[in-house]
Amino acid sequence: MRALEYGYSVCSVCHQLVKLPEEKNGRYLPCPRCGEEVHARKPNSIQYTWALVIASIIFYIPANLLPMMHVVTFAGTQSDTILSGVLYFLETGSYLIAAVIFIASIVVPITKLLILIYLLISVQRKDPRSKPMKQRLYALTELIGKWSMVDVYVVALMIALVHFGSMTEIQAGEGANYFLLVVIITMIAAMQFDPRLIWDIKEDHGTQR
Amino acid sequence: MMKKLKELERGEHLVCCHECDELSYISDPEKSGRFECSNCGHLLLRHRTGLVERMYALGVAALVLLLLTNYFPFLSFHVAGSTSHATFFTSAVYLFEEKQFLLAIAVLMTTIVVPLMRVILTLALFAPLYHGYLPRYAPFVLRALHHSLPWGMIDVFLVGVFVSMVKLVKMGTVIPGISLWSFMALVFVIAAMQVVYNPHPIWERIDEVRRKEVAV
Repeated sequence: MRALEYGYSVCSVCHQLVKLPEEKNGRYLPCPRCGEEVHARKPNSIQYTWALVIASIIFYIPANLLPMMHVVTFAGTQSDTILSGVLYFLETGSYLIAAVIFIASIVVPITKLLILIYLLISVQRKDPRSKPMKQRLYALTELIGKWSMVDVYVVALMIALVHFGSMTEIQAGEGANYFLLVVIITMIAAMQFDPRLIWDIKEDHGTQR
Repeated sequence: MMKKLKELERGEHLVCCHECDELSYISDPEKSGRFECSNCGHLLLRHRTGLVERMYALGVAALVLLLLTNYFPFLSFHVAGSTSHATFFTSAVYLFEEKQFLLAIAVLMTTIVVPLMRVILTLALFAPLYHGYLPRYAPFVLRALHHSLPWGMIDVFLVGVFVSMVKLVKMGTVIPGISLWSFMALVFVIAAMQVVYNPHPIWERIDEVRRKEVAV
């Protein structure tokens, strides 16, 4: 028994059941309890999510190629990208920290983008298979999203702690801005996707809804 | 089925899963326990006693720890005779000085503004509730808490602090400050707040008060 079939929807904020008007266009109402707009489905969810996913893929390229930070010393300037930072920790034997940075800055964003692309394509192709797994994958993208901010915070902290004038100074690189944008945009992309679309796909054969 | 449809018309005892749109019938919503979606297993409702008391206590604890953590430096760095200290605020300030406004605003918002706002809103709601009074702005607070949840990143910041400590150890002497301890406690208190927090009983109370107002 699905709410859409009965013309109902649930408020995303207060979980109040709302009876939506019959008209096909503009099926939304302000929630009678909290005032949030209640839509049957998030409007243009697929288009917005695709746009944001593509934008973050584009930003992810300079985020990896440009340096995250510059270490300026009297001996010269040393620039570090995300990957060279990971390699530096591997070489010096800090495997745990290398793993943390690698997971937070490389595994998490790529996993999120791949999951979102997979969900978008499977919703668009009306693939009815393994809905519970897709639901769990979506929950995962929401859960892990913010953890990629670790590298941005590391840059901010290093700048705050290492500023000894002409002797040693750390400056933020251009890559840090792009990386921040990737994190924020992928978080908004995950919020724009409507998981109910996964369950809207009817099965061609069999009786399962 | 007819009974279910009647319940649907009244909108009671029926809960719609906001992840998969399945309607679930709940026999007794007042009973304490967990209710999961019959289709996808997502947690629909959870009733536990002592919500208001716990949120009030955790809110006060979080506010004290937040002020402590922001006031004292949590890391000091010592190299060749010069020392620098880092508080939450300085990490954003130096980014502003470097004209990295995007980074500065993001760090300021996710580590100070959003967590502080969430704690203050929690207290503004649960302190009056504890004293038996439902404030007029309760719906606004509940909405703000709902929308700001993903943007408070204090736990991620703690991991960032540990990574920078390891990075800095190779360059000079790192001295953990007093507020690093309150910072760690704060991360646990805020995590506990998110686990205990449950807006449904408060929404129901708001409904109840409104029904009474209409009746009068």
